[in-house]
Amino acid sequence: MRSYRIPLFMMAMVLLLGLALPMVTHTAAAATSAAESKKLIYDQANLLRPQEEEALTRLARQYAPERQTDFIIYTTNNPEGRDVVKMTEDLYDRKAFGYNQPYGNAVILTMDMYNREIYLAGFGKAEQELNDSRLDKIRNKITPDLAVGNYGIAFEKYIQLSYDYMGYKFGTTPDNLLFQFWFQLLVAAAIGGIIVWIMAYRSGGVITVSRATYEDSSVSGVLDSYDNYTHTTVSKRKIEKSSSSGGGGGTSSGGHSHSGSRGSF
Amino acid sequence: MPVIDYKCPNCGSSMMFDSATGALSCPSCGRQDNIEQLPDPLKKQVFTENEVQQYHCPSCGADIVTEPETSATTCSFCGSAVVLGDRLVGDLAPDTVIPFAISKAQAEEAFRKWCRNGLLTPAGFMSADRIKSMTGIYVPFWLYELHNLVEVYGKATRVRSYTQGDYQYTETQHYDVYRKLRLDYVNLPLDASEKMNDELMDKLEPFPYEQLKEFKTPYLAGYIAEKYSYDDEQLVPRAKEKTQPYIDSSVSQSLSGYSSVSYTDKQVDTTVRRADYALLPVWLVNYDFKQKNYMFAMNGQTGKVVGKPPLSKGKITAWFAGITAAALLGMKFISWALGGDFL
Ligand SMILES: [Zn+2]
Ligand SMILES: [Zn+2]
Repeated sequence: MRSYRIPLFMMAMVLLLGLALPMVTHTAAAATSAAESKKLIYDQANLLRPQEEEALTRLARQYAPERQTDFIIYTTNNPEGRDVVKMTEDLYDRKAFGYNQPYGNAVILTMDMYNREIYLAGFGKAEQELNDSRLDKIRNKITPDLAVGNYGIAFEKYIQLSYDYMGYKFGTTPDNLLFQFWFQLLVAAAIGGIIVWIMAYRSGGVITVSRATYEDSSVSGVLDSYDNYTHTTVSKRKIEKSSSSGGGGGTSSGGHSHSGSRGSF
Repeated sequence: MPVIDYKCPNCGSSMMFDSATGALSCPSCGRQDNIEQLPDPLKKQVFTENEVQQYHCPSCGADIVTEPETSATTCSFCGSAVVLGDRLVGDLAPDTVIPFAISKAQAEEAFRKWCRNGLLTPAGFMSADRIKSMTGIYVPFWLYELHNLVEVYGKATRVRSYTQGDYQYTETQHYDVYRKLRLDYVNLPLDASEKMNDELMDKLEPFPYEQLKEFKTPYLAGYIAEKYSYDDEQLVPRAKEKTQPYIDSSVSQSLSGYSSVSYTDKQVDTTVRRADYALLPVWLVNYDFKQKNYMFAMNGQTGKVVGKPPLSKGKITAWFAGITAAALLGMKFISWALGGDFL
């Protein structure tokens, strides 16, 4: 039975680590929340009920310290019909959002009820961590709820997704195959299968000699050679620009650059 | 008298080759004779071919029952080491021999250890208590010296890629290439016994050639020896087949640096410079497990064991599950490090 111990031991280690690691990662979340009184939700179009606004504020405050970022929601009836991007930039310039510092990290969702347009913008480090394509993904996920008027649910998703996406590194997103359990299991099973197959294959002994074993290196080698250049062929291919349907980011009149995603609902 | 035996000049017992000292030694009185200085009795004898049909033990007179390939064995009645001289002369005279360095007891111990280390073998097999027989055999090999002159013509490309403006350019430079190589292989071993499994014998390599000795019959005393079933010309195709991947690898190495190479012409001119008839030491293990017979071979110098052991379905499953679980943990860890959820 001795021989069963090694694999069983490995499985036990996996289970133990599997239980221990998430606990370690989530203790960091219990940090203090600063700026209790700071206003994060500007519901000028009155899309939210008071309880919803309260719940969203609580959620934004809870996540702010972990990402060092303000999660802002701005709704407006926009009677003058101003541009949604301009309104977002002006809001940032005027309110100087940013966690613990003016003009710091912030992500802003702007609802233009006049043109039925939505704009998502990332300022500060959120310009990188929530780049155009990530903001596009978030916008696409909340647009169905906005279209049917489930604003509370859509805004909650926006805060949740912005928070999630800011945690993903090296350009990955939660949609990446790497984060799908079935894919992880498939890769793990393939690794297991290959290693066990190699073990079984090697159990009968393997060839351990190579050409160097029998080659007489004192006389073996290249006697003669030529490398005649004949011609060159060139092919070209147009580089696909990553197109952002929502319009992408820009720079505010206050000189603050940002990422962005624009669309209608 | 084609049957040679090795009587101890002191006490008259049958002497045997001793793998520990490399000498012909007497188990009764401990006399040790240096084989390299010993006159080989074979050299003094003259046989006419196919004269002998029946061999008799010089010690007890019993018939020696052998297979037609056997050239050395022990008398099944009195245990004396006997060498059948007429199967080791003329065309059948070996040039060289690598004597055994591992005794029967050491071979058995090494085999048991190998069984214990089998990660996928059933527990019952690992105890290695069903060894049916353990036979030390000098297996006939041809050691070839092959000289190859290789000429290849081909078309090769070097690919460079760069971006300019909105375009990605791929520039391919084309070359006509030629290589002429000399590739000499020495002491390339090929087993010349019909009985031995070629694949098994190939895996036993390498044999330590620094132990190669001029052939003398006392090295065989106490072991089984066989004569070749295929002569040096018959095995040349197999020798070429064996060096084919070596040549291919040398050619492609000489053309490294190109992105792609396609051969338009490739010629290999092989000359067999010499073929030495050598006897190489192999322990053969017959093993009984669950009414099935398994055959293993061990290099009589290095102790390397080859042969397909039975595999346990339970252990394969356990290892597969263990490694898969560990790999899954690794994947989970990567996904967590990238910002994903752990569970
Ligand atoms: Zn003696
Ligand atoms: Zn006898």
